[in-house]
Amino acid sequence: MGNYFSSIFDRLWGINKDVRILILGLDGAGKTTILYFLKIGEVFNTNPTIGFNVETLTYKNLKLNVWDLGGQTSIRPYWRCYYANTAAVIFVIDSTDTDRIQTASKELHLMLKEEELQDAALLVFANKQDLPGALSASEVSDSLKLVDLKDRSWSIVASSAKTGEGIHEGLDWLIDVIKEEQLQ
Amino acid sequence: MSAYKKKNENDISSSSSGSEVPDKMSIYQDCLKTFNESPISPKKCRLLLAKLLNILTLEGYKKSFTTSEATTLFFSVSKLFQHQNNDSLRQMVYLVIKELSSISEDTLMVTSSIMKDIQSGDNLIKPNAVRTLTRVLDETTAFSAERLFKNCIVSPDSSVCSASLVSSYHVLPIAETTVKRYGTEAMQAIFTPKKVSTYNNNSSSSSSNNNGDEGGSKFYPQSSYMSEYHAFGLTYKLKNNDKIALMKLIQNDFNSLKNQFLKVEWIKVVGELIYKDSSLFSNFEQLLYNGLYQSYEAVKLEIAKLITTLIVDNIAPVNDQLFGSVLEVLKQFLVVPRTSTRFASVRLLNKLAMVAPTKISVCNPELESLINDKNRNISTFAITTLLKTGNSSNIASLISTINKFTHDVSDDFKIIIVDAIRTLSIKFPNEWNVILQFLIDSLKNSDGGIKFKNSVVDCLIDLVQFVPSSKESALENLCDFIEDCEYSEVLVRVLHILGDYGPTASKPSLYVRHIYNRVTLENSIIRSAAVVALSKFVIINGGNNASADPTLAKNIISLLENIKENDVDDEVRDRSAVALECIKENHPDLIKSSKTFDLSVLESKLTQYVTNHEFDSPFDTSSVPQYSEDERRALELKRKQDEINDKNSGDFSSAGKKSKKTDASTKNNGSLGASSSNTTFEQRAKIIHEYTEKLYEASIIPSDGSSKFGKLLNSCGPVPLTEPESEFVISAIKHIFQNYIVLQYNIENTLTDSAVENVQVEVNTNTNKTSNLVFDSSTIIDQLMPGANEQCYAIFEKTSESIKEEEFSNILTFVTKEIDPATQQPFAGDEGFDDEYEFDPLLLTCGDYLQPLFTADFRQDLSKLSFGDSCVYNIKENITLQQAVDKIVLNTNCLPLENTQFIMDESEKHILKLFGKSCLNDDIKIGILIKMIKSSKGIALKAEARSNDQELCSDLVNSLI
Repeated sequence: MGNYFSSIFDRLWGINKDVRILILGLDGAGKTTILYFLKIGEVFNTNPTIGFNVETLTYKNLKLNVWDLGGQTSIRPYWRCYYANTAAVIFVIDSTDTDRIQTASKELHLMLKEEELQDAALLVFANKQDLPGALSASEVSDSLKLVDLKDRSWSIVASSAKTGEGIHEGLDWLIDVIKEEQLQ
Repeated sequence: MSAYKKKNENDISSSSSGSEVPDKMSIYQDCLKTFNESPISPKKCRLLLAKLLNILTLEGYKKSFTTSEATTLFFSVSKLFQHQNNDSLRQMVYLVIKELSSISEDTLMVTSSIMKDIQSGDNLIKPNAVRTLTRVLDETTAFSAERLFKNCIVSPDSSVCSASLVSSYHVLPIAETTVKRYGTEAMQAIFTPKKVSTYNNNSSSSSSNNNGDEGGSKFYPQSSYMSEYHAFGLTYKLKNNDKIALMKLIQNDFNSLKNQFLKVEWIKVVGELIYKDSSLFSNFEQLLYNGLYQSYEAVKLEIAKLITTLIVDNIAPVNDQLFGSVLEVLKQFLVVPRTSTRFASVRLLNKLAMVAPTKISVCNPELESLINDKNRNISTFAITTLLKTGNSSNIASLISTINKFTHDVSDDFKIIIVDAIRTLSIKFPNEWNVILQFLIDSLKNSDGGIKFKNSVVDCLIDLVQFVPSSKESALENLCDFIEDCEYSEVLVRVLHILGDYGPTASKPSLYVRHIYNRVTLENSIIRSAAVVALSKFVIINGGNNASADPTLAKNIISLLENIKENDVDDEVRDRSAVALECIKENHPDLIKSSKTFDLSVLESKLTQYVTNHEFDSPFDTSSVPQYSEDERRALELKRKQDEINDKNSGDFSSAGKKSKKTDASTKNNGSLGASSSNTTFEQRAKIIHEYTEKLYEASIIPSDGSSKFGKLLNSCGPVPLTEPESEFVISAIKHIFQNYIVLQYNIENTLTDSAVENVQVEVNTNTNKTSNLVFDSSTIIDQLMPGANEQCYAIFEKTSESIKEEEFSNILTFVTKEIDPATQQPFAGDEGFDDEYEFDPLLLTCGDYLQPLFTADFRQDLSKLSFGDSCVYNIKENITLQQAVDKIVLNTNCLPLENTQFIMDESEKHILKLFGKSCLNDDIKIGILIKMIKSSKGIALKAEARSNDQELCSDLVNSLI
């Protein structure tokens, strides 16, 4: 019965679809940790993801389907299989890994060229801010050339999945963008 | 993508034409669409997945989808992982991924998601998840599943544990080290009872009869303890090569095990261990004995099977108590309603009947009732088993039982029975009357195809050849048969037999009348055969024999002339013309040759002749041995008896082979000797022939036979002169020539690290009396590498014609050189050191001058021979009667008659009848009658020999053993 009412309620708000969000990024950036921090609110020790993890969570009355795809080189080619109907992409950067930030940038721009992701909002987490030597959000933004992005809502947030810093802040922004787009 | 759309259009047209089964491409499209929807409808997805599964399993993996189609499907199915908390959908997803994984690429994409389910999912989906995981793992990812597999194995839920165990078994080829790390947990699972959890069926909403706990316990029994069986399978696989670990495992308490499959498997491992080391048998006797009183049929059968093979292969001594319990169990199983149990039981009894026919006879009443079993395989085994247990007293009743039953079975089946009867006819020649009656009945019976009739005729021919007393009666019945026979092929064979055996019968004219009837009534093929048969009557009756009947010959000649003038067929007229000419010119050999060639030798010689292209000189038949009619029959009887021996007496030669395979060779001293004396006659003849060829190849003697050696009279052996496991394995063959004796030593170097050079056998005749032999020369083997096998020869000249027993002492002299492991050649510059090796002496007895000879009537032929001698032996060695008989047969080279070379039923008394002839003179014959009694002190033998050569007679009787 509760389900029935909530679905009517959803329809009143014009939201009758699950919102699909992808978490992408290079291996070891902290994608799985972020996913389970969102789902359970605690920090787990995770194993490298072979394939993907998917969780459904409710955030601010919105039902989210969050897909965390593995970041290893061998798995990256399969990201595109999961692009369809995606409302937003969360791209996670290991801010301490300055060597690979260019690789990350390349992967990001390659992904954003995909037709299926033209309407998706982009949230970048400059992750691992708790560690010494981490680049600041603006430094990361420069490296990723985020300012070049046109026709897309995007934001970058300094975060630490371990401490929870910035995660909810980023997600709040994302939800606002999604709600806005759905109301239009 | 456009390609898919095109296909889709085609599909629409085909599905509109009314096919009921949904097309696979439309399902494919539906899947892509439905699985990508947001949100998805679980019910719709489940139905689609079921349809997909149907296609995958019905059409086979290869045909169902191409790799790219399957991969696309796989990715869309993987999206269903987002739908949580719906176990029945998840189960379907797993089933489909499992099937897709064999055609789709990139299936490792679901690894993490599956692992999450295994970690935190419901017990209901865990087994499916584990099983699917094994399909998507590869060498690089398998290690990451170790902890998951381990946790599932220790899970208290039976099906989760089983799934993990079986999956581990399947990933062994790619991740053995990973699996080994949780081997201990797997082993503990054998002895840890697991529960089957009863599921709350809420999620499978489609099932309407959700009866709660009661219904659940009805469909899920308390536990099948299947995980214990799976745990054992995995543990065995891991410890397969470690005998001690297996021993330790098997020593756990058998009775505490609950799963019957586990118990069966357990017994199999016990059997394997016993086969590897037969001394372990005593450790397991009690276990096997107790196991026979278990409740599970399968376990009892497995134990019975193990004990049966142990008895048949002669691996370990089985005591009477155990044997008795096995028989008791099998006897009970013969009357159970379950077909497979009856079959298994009768099959084992059939095997046991080969080695212990008398003991099986306690089951005879049950076996007899099985003759009419609905299942043909069971009835066949029942009959052949019964026939094996047959003895001269019950054979008549057996055959009458079978007779009642054979009318309503197929031909193939009848042929099996006739074959069994045939072996009986050779085994019990005195019972020919009953057997003949049975065969004639089956012949005259109108049903049965040509194959069946042929096999009956085969059997009759054997009777005529080897059981002389049955000859006339059998021939007369065959005459009756051909009056009304629809198969030309069978008719021709019968005519041939009548031609061969009719003329020497008491009333040849009777057969002539029957044969001539064929000439007037049948087709040309039969007429030609009849002409040849008739001409044989003239040859034999027209000669100067005492039994010759000149009027009969004259009558037949006029018949033949009549055929020659009047027959419409060319072939028939030609044959009669040739026959008449041969009779007139007195060339009887053209029609009925008195000698036949040894066919296998003839074949190899001809092949050699053709391949060498030596067509300038004609093919020389003199080097091919020829056999007279009696010799041929002797060989054939020997061959057939050997066949029976192979089938019936538990196949000692193969037991010999097996015991050589086991490491326990010390216990099987002389196993080579045992097996060589039990190799069949044909095999032995072949070995001798091969070695004789080597004699020519080595140009020890020139092959034209014109040398000083004279004709090759006889070859005997091979006689093993060393233990089979010694550093040199040596056997010898004695070739007896007219003027010389050639000893052929076959030497094998079994050392692995040394080569020997200048190998020579120093042979001395060490008879105390003066020897008849003078050493002539010997040959040297230049080099014998490890594992190599070469021959060397010692040649002696005979100084007198007379036969004398000789003993040769043998010393092998050689130079040993060590092998360089790098080059596998002896070290360069190694001079080696001289060494010698003494081995068993070789005996040349008068038996080596004898050849087997067949006689139809032993008693009568014996009384014809003028000289007699007798001798008494006492064998102290602990050998069985059968071993003694085998030894005597080998030593004397004579033909055992009337099946006396087989000891029946472990009796304590035996009579052996042997017959042979001298290779020096075909007219010198010898017969020996040996009575043997076995007692606790050994074997007492009394041998009586009769011969037309006094010296041979006394020599042979004194050198039996």
